[in-house]
Amino acid sequence: MRVLTLLMFLAHCLPVPLSPCLIVSLSPRLPVSPSPGAPAVVSAFDRPNDAGSVIQLRWSLSPDDASIDGYAVLRRARDDTAYTKIGSTMRGVTVFEDEGVQDGVPYEYIVASLRDGAMFHSEPSAPAMSYPQFFHKGRINVLLCIVAFTLLLAYFVVKARTGKDLFIRKIAGLAAVEEAVGRATEMGKPILYVPGLGDIDWTATIASMNILGEVARKIARYDSALIVPNRWSVTYTVSKEVVKEAFVAEGSPDKFKEEYVRYVTEAQFGFAAAINGIMTREKPATNFFIGRFWAESLIMAETGAQTGAFQIAGTDSVLQLPFFVSACDYTLMGEELYAASAYLSREPVLLGSLKAQDYGKLAVLLVLFGISLTSFFGVNLLPVLRVQ
Amino acid sequence: MKWYDRIATIDRRIIYVLLTVLVILPFFVKVTIPQKIMPQTQKLFDFIESIPPNDRAVMISFDYSPQTQPECHPMAKALLKHCFARDIPVIGLSFDPEAPGLAVDALVSVEREIDSLATRKEDSIVYGVDYVYLGWKSGRIAAQLDMGEAIAGVFPRDYYGNLIDSLPLMQNVKNYKDIAIVVILAAADYPIDWIRYPQTRYGVKVAAGLTAVMAPQYYPFLQTGQVSGLMSGMKGAAEYEKLVLEHGYACALGTAETGMNSQSMIHLLIMLFIILGNVGYFFARRAGKAPR
Amino acid sequence: MKRRLPLAICFIMGLVMIVQFFIPHPTSLAFSSVIYKWIIVLMAFALVLAIGNLIRHHGEKIRRRKEDWPYSIVTLAGMVAMAAIGLTWGIASDSLYQKIFLNVMAPLGGTMFALLAYYMASAAYRAFRARSLEATLLLVSAFIVMIGFMPFGQYLHPRFPAFAEWIMTVPNMASQRGILLGVAFGSIATALKIILGIERSWLGGKD
Repeated sequence: MRVLTLLMFLAHCLPVPLSPCLIVSLSPRLPVSPSPGAPAVVSAFDRPNDAGSVIQLRWSLSPDDASIDGYAVLRRARDDTAYTKIGSTMRGVTVFEDEGVQDGVPYEYIVASLRDGAMFHSEPSAPAMSYPQFFHKGRINVLLCIVAFTLLLAYFVVKARTGKDLFIRKIAGLAAVEEAVGRATEMGKPILYVPGLGDIDWTATIASMNILGEVARKIARYDSALIVPNRWSVTYTVSKEVVKEAFVAEGSPDKFKEEYVRYVTEAQFGFAAAINGIMTREKPATNFFIGRFWAESLIMAETGAQTGAFQIAGTDSVLQLPFFVSACDYTLMGEELYAASAYLSREPVLLGSLKAQDYGKLAVLLVLFGISLTSFFGVNLLPVLRVQ
Repeated sequence: MKWYDRIATIDRRIIYVLLTVLVILPFFVKVTIPQKIMPQTQKLFDFIESIPPNDRAVMISFDYSPQTQPECHPMAKALLKHCFARDIPVIGLSFDPEAPGLAVDALVSVEREIDSLATRKEDSIVYGVDYVYLGWKSGRIAAQLDMGEAIAGVFPRDYYGNLIDSLPLMQNVKNYKDIAIVVILAAADYPIDWIRYPQTRYGVKVAAGLTAVMAPQYYPFLQTGQVSGLMSGMKGAAEYEKLVLEHGYACALGTAETGMNSQSMIHLLIMLFIILGNVGYFFARRAGKAPR
Repeated sequence: MKRRLPLAICFIMGLVMIVQFFIPHPTSLAFSSVIYKWIIVLMAFALVLAIGNLIRHHGEKIRRRKEDWPYSIVTLAGMVAMAAIGLTWGIASDSLYQKIFLNVMAPLGGTMFALLAYYMASAAYRAFRARSLEATLLLVSAFIVMIGFMPFGQYLHPRFPAFAEWIMTVPNMASQRGILLGVAFGSIATALKIILGIERSWLGGKD
């Protein structure tokens, strides 16, 4: 017994508490009390940041938690005379959400320890009411980031409008677009532009549409032929409009042909098969693979390489980058895809937005570095930043 | 042509032929190599184990197409066996237009397998009570978000045309509050949508079963806890099959085990060719033929 | 006006959807639910346009007897036949539709995906050469990962799987996160540029 007491004492002195299982194994088996204690403090409150109709409950465990079957939750509205059981939890649990309440009505709660069907009640909680919120306070961090980034964007856009020259490094894949279009014109062969396999809700697809607009303008200028196969119905309608508008903007709407933009199929590998078919039958001089790609990327890029086409790829799919790098002449990696529209159009306003992007990234990197450094010294800043 | 030039420039058709032979070989020569369970597979299994029977449902998004059937179909079957054996209700749905045929095949084949072994009526699987298949829907992200309010609002009828409200299981499953976890089985990165939208807004738990080529993309999310478990390719499927068998939820392993042997053979072949290529390159460089 | 109207709709809807993200009130949720339903319906309508294009494109090819036109007949016949079979005899687990799907579509699709293994093998053989220190490091780590993830990797050395796992979860994940961070900023900037009307390439350019 002395050894046991000494061990328990040492356990309390340790800077890190012993694991519960170790303490349990050291404890002598406690006798089961005839009537278990009820949970002590029961607090009820409106669940924050929701659409209402939910009251949250918290209580402290019964002193006999290990020997009870669980807890029952009972509720009484202001006008009710008796409490009604509304749910139960396992032992060891101290929270409950009552999801069936009426907003604006005060409710009182009792939590009872359960053993062999009998209930041992706590004191009633103070009345609580649920109500819907108009602002999600847990998302303040997101709101602040959006506002800060929008201001940064606006600042650089305004600065660019004043005529300040903004530097953008050379992106080889984009510098080669002019050459790629010219090559196809010289060879008298079409240009294949695959806007990825992602639907329009992928930002990479939207970025691809922006690049398609610029490429289509060059094609309209050079008088080449274009093939834009689409996997999704919405990307088909958008890419058709983008190409049409590009031809109109270049003053040659008559050169646009309906057959330039095609819908193929939603089947992932059916689409890849169709692209391989187009590459082997129509032998495009240049292939663009720009947007979101998955496992089919290498199948298409390798077939394109075998047909001898000049290939430019661009994706933010990290895993597909190695495949494109090994099979294409140029590859736009990650965020280069999002810089492409600004790079190709050379519009100062768009170049300004790239600057904002860079500063935003720098700010996040500094924050990440700061958090890593403080966490290295044992200070966790994540709860302060309300990172969920 | 010197020997080193020859091994550095092997015709790709030779690689193709050897690869075909090695893929087929394990179908005839049965070898069972004991699997070590990867932590992410174990994590998913443990999560499903922790769900109380006849409580909240597991939602399985069948988003793989016939092309990736060998990798994802065994995952689906093993997961379904696990859920059905533990009396966990299953809600199936698809956002890939090619997936419904395979989803129905997986659900019905597991249902028939369990029914053939059931000795009591209560042990058999009943559509509408133990599981429901909602079918395919366009507008993936919008649909995922809207299900947070009401599943019936997005899928008023199931795949077979039954009214959702008429199915007994759906009386208890109204929205994500009644879903313990959503498991996405896919060949594309569909799980990212579930993480970005329903998880951010409704806090729904997300796990995935992905093709081996896609799975590494989800390692960062696994570490942050946004993904509660992951089956990675054929290996993940074989591991889950093994876990389900070891815990007595199935009588035999599925098809992933054989697939794993073929996959291992291909890996070995690829490594062999990479070594040959490098040996050839090394000697060619020493002879001053290859660029440095 | 032709430009301003889409830009105005884009700005208003973008702003409204951002704002409603911060409002948990039932009215806001009901509003977003209506918008989601619109999106689902809109996407279904776009499918009609897309199928119309498919029929027109292949119909034109058949009519003009363009090169490889018989393939267009197969495409259109397949589409019509599957739709007709599904609508007539249903899509249940033992239906004709399901049988065709599992016995024709599935093996054809599987064959297409299997090409990846061939291409990967030949690409790995051609690309994985120890040309420099970086390429050698890449080669060695690829080997460790491949062996570690094979079932017999653990028998070569008990620490192989753990080492492969470490490569995937530490250096691989760190580099992935770096790219993801850039991509995330790129996507946020693209979304904001479109909402604010700064990016107009999708409307044919700046004019």
